Amino acid sequence: MRPANADVTARCPHCATTVAGAEDAYCCSGCEAAAALIRGAGLERYYDIRESPAPRPSNRAEPWSAVEVEEGPDGLCETTLMVDGLRCASCVWLTESVLRRVPGVEEATVSYGTGRARLRWAAAETDLTTLAGLIQKLGYRPRLGAGAAPVDRDLWVRLGIASFAAANVMLLSAALYAGWIDPMEERFARLFQWWTLVLATPVALWSATPFFAGAWRGLRAGVLHMDVPIALGIGVLYAHGVIGVVVGFDTYLDSMTMLVALLLGGRVLESAGRRRSLEAALALAAVVPTTACRRRGDTVEWVPSEELVRGDVVDIGAGREIPADGVVEGGEGRVRTALLTGESKPVRVSAGDDVWAGTVLVDGALTVRVSAAAGATLVHSMAESVAEAAGRTEVRDTADRLAPWFTGATLAAAGLTWVGWWSTGNTGGGLQATIAVLVVACPCALALARPLVGAAGLGAAARRGALFRSVDVLLRAGKVDRVVLDKTGTVTEGEVRVTEATDELLRVAAGLERFSAHPRAEAIVREAVRRGIPIPVGSSVEERAGVGISGRVEGALWSVRSGGDDAVEVFGPGGPLGLVRFGDRMRDDAAETTRRLVDAGVAVSILSGDVEGPTREVAERVGASSMWASQRPDAKAARIRAWQEAGDTVLFAGDGLNDGPALAAADVAVAMGSGAASSVLAADGVVLTDRLAPVEGAMRVGRVCARVVRSSRVTSIVYNAVAVGAAAFGLVNPLVAAVLMPVSSALVLAQAARVEALVAKEDV
Amino acid sequence: MIALLLLIPVAIGLAAVFLSLFVAAARDGQFDDLDDPPHRILHDD
Repeated sequence: MRPANADVTARCPHCATTVAGAEDAYCCSGCEAAAALIRGAGLERYYDIRESPAPRPSNRAEPWSAVEVEEGPDGLCETTLMVDGLRCASCVWLTESVLRRVPGVEEATVSYGTGRARLRWAAAETDLTTLAGLIQKLGYRPRLGAGAAPVDRDLWVRLGIASFAAANVMLLSAALYAGWIDPMEERFARLFQWWTLVLATPVALWSATPFFAGAWRGLRAGVLHMDVPIALGIGVLYAHGVIGVVVGFDTYLDSMTMLVALLLGGRVLESAGRRRSLEAALALAAVVPTTACRRRGDTVEWVPSEELVRGDVVDIGAGREIPADGVVEGGEGRVRTALLTGESKPVRVSAGDDVWAGTVLVDGALTVRVSAAAGATLVHSMAESVAEAAGRTEVRDTADRLAPWFTGATLAAAGLTWVGWWSTGNTGGGLQATIAVLVVACPCALALARPLVGAAGLGAAARRGALFRSVDVLLRAGKVDRVVLDKTGTVTEGEVRVTEATDELLRVAAGLERFSAHPRAEAIVREAVRRGIPIPVGSSVEERAGVGISGRVEGALWSVRSGGDDAVEVFGPGGPLGLVRFGDRMRDDAAETTRRLVDAGVAVSILSGDVEGPTREVAERVGASSMWASQRPDAKAARIRAWQEAGDTVLFAGDGLNDGPALAAADVAVAMGSGAASSVLAADGVVLTDRLAPVEGAMRVGRVCARVVRSSRVTSIVYNAVAVGAAAFGLVNPLVAAVLMPVSSALVLAQAARVEALVAKEDV
Repeated sequence: MIALLLLIPVAIGLAAVFLSLFVAAARDGQFDDLDDPPHRILHDD
């Protein structure tokens, strides 16, 4: 595809864009400034260690001075920014290093996983404008972001204490068990016993409190979930242990501490996955631009978008997001509302039309009177309802279908044992046997099966590009028999792309557009880079909003003007030369993914807010079994509910907030997170790459996990049944219990370890 | 055997020192983020 004259080319040393001319030429002033900044800070090493070229810095300035950060009593300011565009670990290193070299910066920590930058600086020495400006200069996009989800540090401490106690109690108990064979002096046996009680007490009274709290919550809500038999077991074992140590008989304190440690380990695994998805939900707050240009009489001022109130008048320039809901007062332009309506083409708006926060003004300029701002905007209320739906799934998580049966069976077995022994007149032996039944019936392996298999499954899904909120969702994904896809941004890439243009037209157009922040200009430059076309440097470039761009390229005067809704026309010295067309492209793997789903017996449907024509074309090209066009958000949700009533388990994949109701209605909701941090939704799962295949991969992981959970449940129930039977007849003593429990847990662990291998067998 | 009266508390006390280090680390937030440090280790200067 390279044009014939491509022999004199070089790459921009910063962003690797192909440029015409000599070596070491920067493609634009932005890259040159970024490179100067990096070299000035002595961080050239970045160019050696980076895994992908740097993004091209945009010249669109955010007026950060309007953002007020409160100064702490120690003179330090602290805030968290979301940073879009971090591509690799080197980006993180570069950003951190540049920020840390600014005098007055106390802390600059950037997280690659969540795209958050935590900044702490001395208010007297530097300010947020400087720091955010530096991030922007490097080519990344800072936004005023949501805070991080809180971490339950107590859970780690509980686990640490329980593990410490379990290991030491086991050591002391081993000495006591050895005493059965070679008896030790009574006073030393008592000494060992008292120490086991000292170690076990903080475990029962503090480490295990989440299980007691969970059981209590469940009982009050009338649900017998898994925490109930666990709390019962721990409580009985500890009470038995206290009496045993005081009176002087063998206890199960070793089993109890190990049980708590194992179960807490499972909790830690679960909470890590849950926190990650909660952070994705918090990122929603960042879709509204940080600042807005507010008119005050004859002057304008930049204010944080949150401070806008009803009745304010704001100016919005081309390429910017709209900061609040409102009515257009003056000017005109085209707004991309894909975020709210799913419409792929920008909508023309002029005086009197409504516009919504978070939508993008593609071109033109608008003056808008605010009707709702900050927490009152449509986008905010949608985000809230989605987050609320996300919160509901968590409650459902802990309630396990098996738990009531299990609890009932345990209590029945304990009761029968007691009655059986009592009827023979041996109340002492009966008490011991009943305690032993409660010990071995404690559903340790059963309770570990889900978090262990879940952690393996969530990891396997993540390696295939999909992050899921919880094991429950993943297991549901395995049962899905209808996949419903949104069109724009899910089946298609959802971005403006050049679909048709000759190399020569692109070359000239890119030369002119390289300095523009307009989405179409970026699409032209991106396509020219993709085709390897050397981009000439335009001079005396003049951009006029709503009209086009003109300037000199290689001596001649060229211009690029709007050529209808989905094209621009390029004019050379001799008149019009042709059109560059734009459109939305299907994801490369969309058809392949659909085929694999259909082969697995899953129905694939497309629901789009877009009109009939393009929707039908996409549906036919991917091979979807059915399609519905012009669907409003609530209509999508209604259709999904209709399928559910017909007995289908529905997975919905969408990319915009307009899909909020549909995501909330679906059994499994997957958001496409390939765009900016702001497009990540509070769905059950997020696809991290710009491919569709992870949706299918996650469903396969879900099926494997369901199978493994089922088989580990069988293992643990068989174990429990056999062990309870033995205990009922008085065959279980503390040593047998201490051996049986880790063996059953190890069996479950071994099964969980097979998840990745089982899924990999079906990978392509 | 009388040495056990001293040795058990000494052993458990020693282990408790390490436990308290772990607790301090957990409370300090060292286990808050287990995803980034593996990336970071390659780049620290």
